[in-house]
Amino acid sequence: MLKMKNVSKVYRTDTVETHALREFSLTVEEGEFVSVTGPSGSGKTTFLNIAGLLEDLTSGTYELDGRDISKLNDKERSHVRNEKIGFIFQSFNLIPELDIFDNVDVPLRYRGFKADERKRRIEQSIEMVGLGSRMRHLPAQLSGGQQQRVAIARALAGEPRFLLADEPTGNLDSQMADSVLDLLGEINDAGTTIIMVTHELGLADRARRNIFVRDGQVSDGAPELHLANLAAG
Amino acid sequence: MELGPIWRSMMRSKGGYVLIALQIAVTMAIMVNAIAIMQERSIKMARPSGIDEANTFGVVSVGFKPDMDEKALIQEDLDLLRNLPGVVNAIETNSFPLRQGGWSEGLHREPGVGKSVSSSAIYFVDEHGLETFALNLIDGENFSPQQVSWDSDSPDFWPSTVIITQALGEDLFPDEEGTYVGKTFWFNDENPANIVGVVERLQAPWPTWTGVERSMLVPLRRESEFARYVVRTEPGSREEVILQVEELLSSSNKDRIIRAVETADGARKLAYLGDAAMIKILTFVVSLLTAITGLGIVGLASFSVARRTRQIGIRRALGATKAAIVRYFMLENFLVSSIGIVAGGILAVGLNILMVQAFALTPLAWYIIPAAMLVLWVVGQVAVAGPARRASGISPAIATRSS
Amino acid sequence: MFRYYLKLGSLSIRANPVLSVLMVAAIAIGIGACMTIMTVRHVMSGNPVEHKNDQLYHVQVDNWNPDDPYEDPNGAPVQVTYLDARALHDAGRAFRQTTSFKTSRVVQPDSEDARPFQEESRATTADFFPMFDVPFLFGSGWNRSSDETLEQVVVVSRELNEKLFGGENSVGRTLMLNDEAYRVVGVLDTWNPVPKFYDVNNNPFEAPAQLFLPFSVAIAGSFDNNGNTSCWKPTPEGSGREGFLASECIWIQMWVELQNASAKQDYMSFLDAYVEEQKLLGRFPRPLNNHLRNPAEWMEYNEIVDDEVDVLLSLAALFLVVCLLNTIGLLLAKAARSSKNTSLRRALGASKAELFKQHIIEAGMIGIAGGLLGIGMTWIGLRGIEHLFVEYDFMQHLVRMDWTMVMLAVALAIISALSAALYPTWRTCNITPASHLRLQ
Repeated sequence: MLKMKNVSKVYRTDTVETHALREFSLTVEEGEFVSVTGPSGSGKTTFLNIAGLLEDLTSGTYELDGRDISKLNDKERSHVRNEKIGFIFQSFNLIPELDIFDNVDVPLRYRGFKADERKRRIEQSIEMVGLGSRMRHLPAQLSGGQQQRVAIARALAGEPRFLLADEPTGNLDSQMADSVLDLLGEINDAGTTIIMVTHELGLADRARRNIFVRDGQVSDGAPELHLANLAAG
Repeated sequence: MELGPIWRSMMRSKGGYVLIALQIAVTMAIMVNAIAIMQERSIKMARPSGIDEANTFGVVSVGFKPDMDEKALIQEDLDLLRNLPGVVNAIETNSFPLRQGGWSEGLHREPGVGKSVSSSAIYFVDEHGLETFALNLIDGENFSPQQVSWDSDSPDFWPSTVIITQALGEDLFPDEEGTYVGKTFWFNDENPANIVGVVERLQAPWPTWTGVERSMLVPLRRESEFARYVVRTEPGSREEVILQVEELLSSSNKDRIIRAVETADGARKLAYLGDAAMIKILTFVVSLLTAITGLGIVGLASFSVARRTRQIGIRRALGATKAAIVRYFMLENFLVSSIGIVAGGILAVGLNILMVQAFALTPLAWYIIPAAMLVLWVVGQVAVAGPARRASGISPAIATRSS
Repeated sequence: MFRYYLKLGSLSIRANPVLSVLMVAAIAIGIGACMTIMTVRHVMSGNPVEHKNDQLYHVQVDNWNPDDPYEDPNGAPVQVTYLDARALHDAGRAFRQTTSFKTSRVVQPDSEDARPFQEESRATTADFFPMFDVPFLFGSGWNRSSDETLEQVVVVSRELNEKLFGGENSVGRTLMLNDEAYRVVGVLDTWNPVPKFYDVNNNPFEAPAQLFLPFSVAIAGSFDNNGNTSCWKPTPEGSGREGFLASECIWIQMWVELQNASAKQDYMSFLDAYVEEQKLLGRFPRPLNNHLRNPAEWMEYNEIVDDEVDVLLSLAALFLVVCLLNTIGLLLAKAARSSKNTSLRRALGASKAELFKQHIIEAGMIGIAGGLLGIGMTWIGLRGIEHLFVEYDFMQHLVRMDWTMVMLAVALAIISALSAALYPTWRTCNITPASHLRLQ
């Protein structure tokens, strides 16, 4: 479903050239739960931005459902983000002035769904994450775990091709973290593809496949070896 | 469009939005009333005086020696003036329209000196008055030379025949049909006036007088050391004629001085100086005001965008196109502007009512309000366009930055 | 703490240069607009004889039409007839009194090649000069006996003295007016009462006359009245000049000087008695309606301050409101920018009251700066007004700022800035210590 081949990302300033990603390749099939791990500065955030079409790549190809989306213009990329990708951010990124309902509503508005269609989807996804009774509450009135669930509901409401999660439990205590991860597991069981980016090994465990990133490059093949190395040091 | 969420989000942090709406409201109130005043003044200034202003001027002779033959001098001067090349005609009279000084009389329907039913400006002229003032006689006829007399010759000050303006006729005989020619009114208990002619228009010397359109021509020459001559020239000749007149009159008789010439359009300018100034001042104020409010919107919008940088990034990440971001801010501004504009319209009407009461202004014409609304809507949208464009440039990658 | 807050204020202003400049500018423009109009209004409502206001009185007696008041609903005429002016003046019942009217004379300078020219003049009585504290450069006015003997004396203005005699002491010299010889007895110092309270009939702001000569001489010489003449019934046919002087036409301004309240009462009684007497002669058909108005009352009665000015003042005040709303917005933006700073101070122990003081003082500093710049804006505004009215000579007096106006400008600016700062400061004070600090 998702195919990145030899993707490179170079940041250029007047004085410095940074190669954030080098010849990065990854293929993800439908229904997979993949984690992308690496230490800070390894390029995993860059991978995230590129996978999520938040930034463009310098060279290489990125195909989604057989369509080359590396060369799209801004408007087309926005559409792809809107329709195909569901984001879950470390800091939840809910809009503070909007209540839960309106927060989940945001991507659906850009999709162009009619009011009753939107309502149906919003109510359905908020119910699914167990927050049906809090629909008109503001984010400030919810705990961290609840806020992240709202973010998940927002991500799912549009029925994306895959969820892209960035340190989804980074701002949560261990109990909340567990419940969020359980929720992600359930969602994956139900058939949704999930790509999770993290630096925590415990999280990587929860995924079915692990990709390790270092210095902008992927090292797949013998993930267990790498994991063992990491556990030791 | 996402009116619901925008509205709910605005309601949660009202402060800045209320401020903009208030600013727009007060701006609207000022703008509408200023435009109303400007319109009132323009209409006032556009009223024609009835004479051929561009080609008319007045010049005063002041005699200062004792025992002067004033009658002879005036006759001499008039002959000289009337025979100058470039002069259409000239008269000796007391004033001309918009000069801000002149003679007015209370008039009566019956002989008596009780409360007058009407009042009129008086212009003392001879049979050349109609042509000199370039008046349009719409009924009756001009004075004959026999009907004109010198005030020093007759014991009765007021002649018995007059020519009036249409407006004076309407005021003197409000419910009567038919021609005014042949009708009579009274100056006082002893002097009747028979109307022999009606002219279309001749304004009084005082532009702010409610009776400014009520004037009459009285066939009387006045013997006095002060003589004012009003001269009408051929088109284009006025400059030249003025120079000649000043020189010729000054040198023809040393027992009098010639005062500086007053042109009819010069008098108009002085008469409406205050109104013209008011229009200019208000134009300046309205422009400045619009600029300030526009800049205020730009400032607050920029600030609002800067504060919501993260939110904008999130929206972009979730799939908003650049155009969608721009639309969001334009719409938000449109909502706030609309509230301000509607409140402003009400404020404007209220202010106008107060000002009409306090300063006797004319009530504003209704169409000024939608016109001002349109202007402010456009100003608001133009003002927010810049910050909105900048907002759309915010990268979606902000969403993944760890705050 | 006050000095500490001044320091914090100036640091904050420097840290936000653009915002601060915009704020100062917004206040300055609003102040400029208001003060420009206020200055004009201030001068228009001035009283050149304020120090003597309770001693000078304008005399009004109601000789008008029994069927029609001079002014609705029952306003007495604003001038007096010759009959009444003479009678009241000659009765001499006030400490000082003067009757006068506006006229003109043709001045014939000595030198052959100088052309005669017309000058605005005032026919008045001897008391005019001491009553109105008219300043003299050389000589003085004439005395009462000159009025009685119809002496041909004249007082000239400073400007005219410059023009005719090169500014020298011309007392004693002869001046030819309308072919008659007059002796100069005094030269005025620069004198420009604004408004010209003693005669507000045509233009209360124009310059005073250039020549002053005795009322009795003007009457005997049949000088024309250049002011307003109003009659409610015609003079008898063929009666000419005598008829006019005996008529009910009003054209003369009469003022008296009464030294205290009881003198005023006495004079009022005298006026009433006089009118009653005249009624027996068949004059004064209307009910008794005499008035003594002091200069302040007289000017107000005549509505010296044009409505136009008040129209502009109302709009200018609203304009200031808009500028202040702008300022509030700018202050909110500034407060948001320094919210971290505020949170920190709260965390370190500043109370709400202290924060309030700090920000109000800062607002005051902006206000002072705005006021000072506003003075400059006012000056520009007044030059603009002057330019628009350049054809009116007298305008130059109306566009002059005095110290009262300067201080008012600064005070208004400070008050405006403080009012604008109330809401943003209140918001700032309510910031909790933790809210803007990044705590885990």
